[in-house]
Amino acid sequence: MKRREFIKLTALTALGVFLGSGALRSASAKITLEEALKKHLGVGLSQIKESDKVKIKAPSIAESGANVPIQVSADVPVEQVESLHIFVDKNPNPFIASVDFSPMNGEVFFATRIKMGATSPVRAILKLKDGTYLMASKEVKVTVGGCG
Amino acid sequence: MNLTRRDFIELAIVTGAYLATNPVSALAKMSLSDLLAFRETGNVTLLFTTDLHAHLRPHYFSEPINLVVPKNLRGLPGTVTGEEFLRMYKIAPGTLEAYFMSCVDFPKLARKFGKMGGAPHITWLVKKIISERGRDKVLLLDGGDTWVTTAVGTFTDGKAVVDWMKLTGYDVMVGHWEFTLGKEKVLKRIKELQSAGCEFISQNIREVDEFGFEGDLVFKPYAIKEVGGARLGIIGNSFPFTPIANPKQFVEGWSFGIREDTLQEYVNELKEKHKVDAVILLSHDGLLLDIALAKKVSGIDIIISGHTHDVVPKAYKVPGTNTIVVIAGSHGKFLGRLDLDVKNGRIRDLSYKLYPIASNLIPADPEAQKLVDSYWSELDKKLGLSKELCTTEVMLYKRDTFFSTWDWLVGEAINDYYGGELDVVTSPGYRWGTVVLPGEKVTVDHVYAYTAITYPNVYVLRRTGKQLKTVWEDVADNVFNPDPFYQQGGDMSRLWNVEYEIEVNGPPYNRLRNITIGGKPLKPDKEYLVAVYGGPPPPPDTLEPGYKPVPVYEILINYLKKKESVKPRTEPNVKVLDAPYKPYDACYGGGS
Repeated sequence: MKRREFIKLTALTALGVFLGSGALRSASAKITLEEALKKHLGVGLSQIKESDKVKIKAPSIAESGANVPIQVSADVPVEQVESLHIFVDKNPNPFIASVDFSPMNGEVFFATRIKMGATSPVRAILKLKDGTYLMASKEVKVTVGGCG
Repeated sequence: MNLTRRDFIELAIVTGAYLATNPVSALAKMSLSDLLAFRETGNVTLLFTTDLHAHLRPHYFSEPINLVVPKNLRGLPGTVTGEEFLRMYKIAPGTLEAYFMSCVDFPKLARKFGKMGGAPHITWLVKKIISERGRDKVLLLDGGDTWVTTAVGTFTDGKAVVDWMKLTGYDVMVGHWEFTLGKEKVLKRIKELQSAGCEFISQNIREVDEFGFEGDLVFKPYAIKEVGGARLGIIGNSFPFTPIANPKQFVEGWSFGIREDTLQEYVNELKEKHKVDAVILLSHDGLLLDIALAKKVSGIDIIISGHTHDVVPKAYKVPGTNTIVVIAGSHGKFLGRLDLDVKNGRIRDLSYKLYPIASNLIPADPEAQKLVDSYWSELDKKLGLSKELCTTEVMLYKRDTFFSTWDWLVGEAINDYYGGELDVVTSPGYRWGTVVLPGEKVTVDHVYAYTAITYPNVYVLRRTGKQLKTVWEDVADNVFNPDPFYQQGGDMSRLWNVEYEIEVNGPPYNRLRNITIGGKPLKPDKEYLVAVYGGPPPPPDTLEPGYKPVPVYEILINYLKKKESVKPRTEPNVKVLDAPYKPYDACYGGGS
C-alpha cells in the first residue's frame, strides 16, 4: 500500500484513536496483560474469544522493535463494531491503542506502527456492540539478530 | 593433491546410482557422459545455481556433519546428514555423489575426486545444455549469495562475479549478501546485469520512510518469460531478514520480510491477469521456510529455494500441496536442472537432477576461465592470495550447527591478538566458507573465503554473564524455533572458550544449560571481556577502551603467518541434550 493511501485509510477508518505508551510515550510502571485488559476493557483474557474473523498482519520477525508495522482488519460488518483495542503482552505497559468505529468507516481496518520491547504476542481485540469480544493474535519476534 | 582430468577418469569410480541398482557395474569408470546423463523431458529447462558465495575457482566444501533442528522438523530435506542422508537418497558411500552430497569420509574422498565447483566449469555445462536443448527452451536462474564473501568477490565489489554471470547468460536472480555491498553498489551491479538481459526481482523489498511508512517496491516483483512455448511467471523473494541478520545501514530505507500476503497476490495476478502456465518462486528464504510457505500460499508450482545450502537430490513435493521444492546446494558444487513439460497451465511431467560440478571431469569454458584468471591474478598480485601461511593438521571447516575447527582457530587467533586477555570470542554462525584438508597449506585466499565481508571489524566489549546468556538464548531461538517463519538465524553462534549444554526443544529463551567460561560456571553478575565480529556493529560507546577494532582477516593472516602448523580442537564445546550430535570423527577422521 502506498503511503498516501495508508494515511487516507487511517483517517477514514479511525473515528477516535487513543494511543497508549507503546505507541507514543515512554513506559511508566510495569503492569501485566491481565491488568491492562481489566483497566481498558473491564474484562479479563478468559472472557475474550479468539476468532478467525479478525485478521492481524505483522512481520513474524520485526526489523526493529522500535517500529513494528501492524494492520488489523475484520470480516465483521462495521455496524456491529464498537471499538478495536491493541495490546502487546510483554510490553511494560501492554496497552497500545484503542480505536472507535462508526458505520461511516465502511469497514474495519486499522494500521499503525507500534513499539515492542521483546518477543511477544500482539493482540487485536474487537469490542462488538452486543458487548462480546473477538480477538486475533500474532507472535512477533524481536531479536538482536546477527548471523547470515 | 590435484588430479588431472585423465588421472580422474582412469580411477575406477562408481556412481551411486550404479551401485544402488547394479552391484556388478561397481567397477565401471565414471566418465563425463555418466555425469551428464539426464532424462530430458518437455518443453522447458530450468537451470539454477544458488549460494555460490563468489567461489569462482574450484575448492573443497564439505556438507555438514550435523544439521540439528527442532523435533517437529526432523527428517525433512535439509535436516538429514552423513550416512543417514546417503541411505535416504540411496547413494552408495565412496562415490562421487556421496563425496559431493554428504560429509562421509570427506578428506579421503577429496584426495580421490579433487576439487569442486568453479565458475568456468558451470559455464561449460550451462552452454552444453543450452546447445542441446536450444536457448529458447532454457531459463538460467540464480538464488543469491553469489557476488561476495571471497577475496575475488568482496574486493571487486561483486564485479568479478557479475561479469561471469553476464558471460554465462543468467536470466533472473534474487539476493541476500549482495546487499552488504550497500545500496549504491548493489544497484550499480544490478544495472550492469540488466544491460546483459538479467533481471533482479523481489516481491519482498519495499521502500520505507523515516517514520516507517512503506512506499513502492524497490525491484520488479516478478518476471514473465516465454520459454519453449510456455509462459512462466517467476516471483522473487530475497532474504527476508537481511536488515536483521546483516547490518541495517546497508539497506537503510528498505524494508524486507517474508510478505506471504503479497506473495499470494502476485501468484494470483500472474495466473489470472497474465495467464501464465506455471508459477515459480525463486527464493532466498531457506528450505524449511519455503516448505512452510508452500502450505500457506497456494498456487505456486515450483519453489527454487536457496540460503540454507541444502543438497536435495530428489524434487520434494510438499505434502498437502501441489508445490514442488528444489534447492541446489552451495559454493558452486551443483548446477540444478529441472525439465518441465508445461502446457495449458499444467505441468504434465518433470525431470530433475543436481549435476555435481566435478572440476576434474567437467571442462572449463575457455572464455569464463580467462575472465576468472584475469580477476584472480590481479588480486593475487595485490593481496598475495596464493601465499601459504602454515599447515593445518586437522580439517578446517565451518559448516555445522554448533561447532567448527575453523571457528575455534579464529577464537584462538583473536585472543592471541588481544594479548590473551579475552574471556569469550563470538564468531557468527554463517553457513559459508571453504574447507582446508588435513595436511594442506592454509593460504591467504582461504582466510578470505571464511571472512571476506564488508564489515570485518572485531570489537571488544564488556558484558555481564546475564547479558551474554540473553544474547545466546536469542540466537538459539532464531536457529531452533519450531516454526520456520520465526527462524532468522544461520547456524548457532560459535563461542570460543565457552562450554554449554543445550536442549534444542527446550523452552524458548531457556534452552542453554550449565554454561562455563574458561572452565568456570558463568556468573550472571560478573563482567566478561568479549570479542565479537560479523554482526551488527555495537554502538561506539559500548566498546572497551584500549582495544582497537581490527579486521578479522588481518588478525588471522598475521596469526597463521607466525605458525608452522595449526591444530585446533576437534571436540565440540557443545553438548546437545535432546538430539543426536555427531563429532568430527564421524566424517572427517580419516584421510589425514
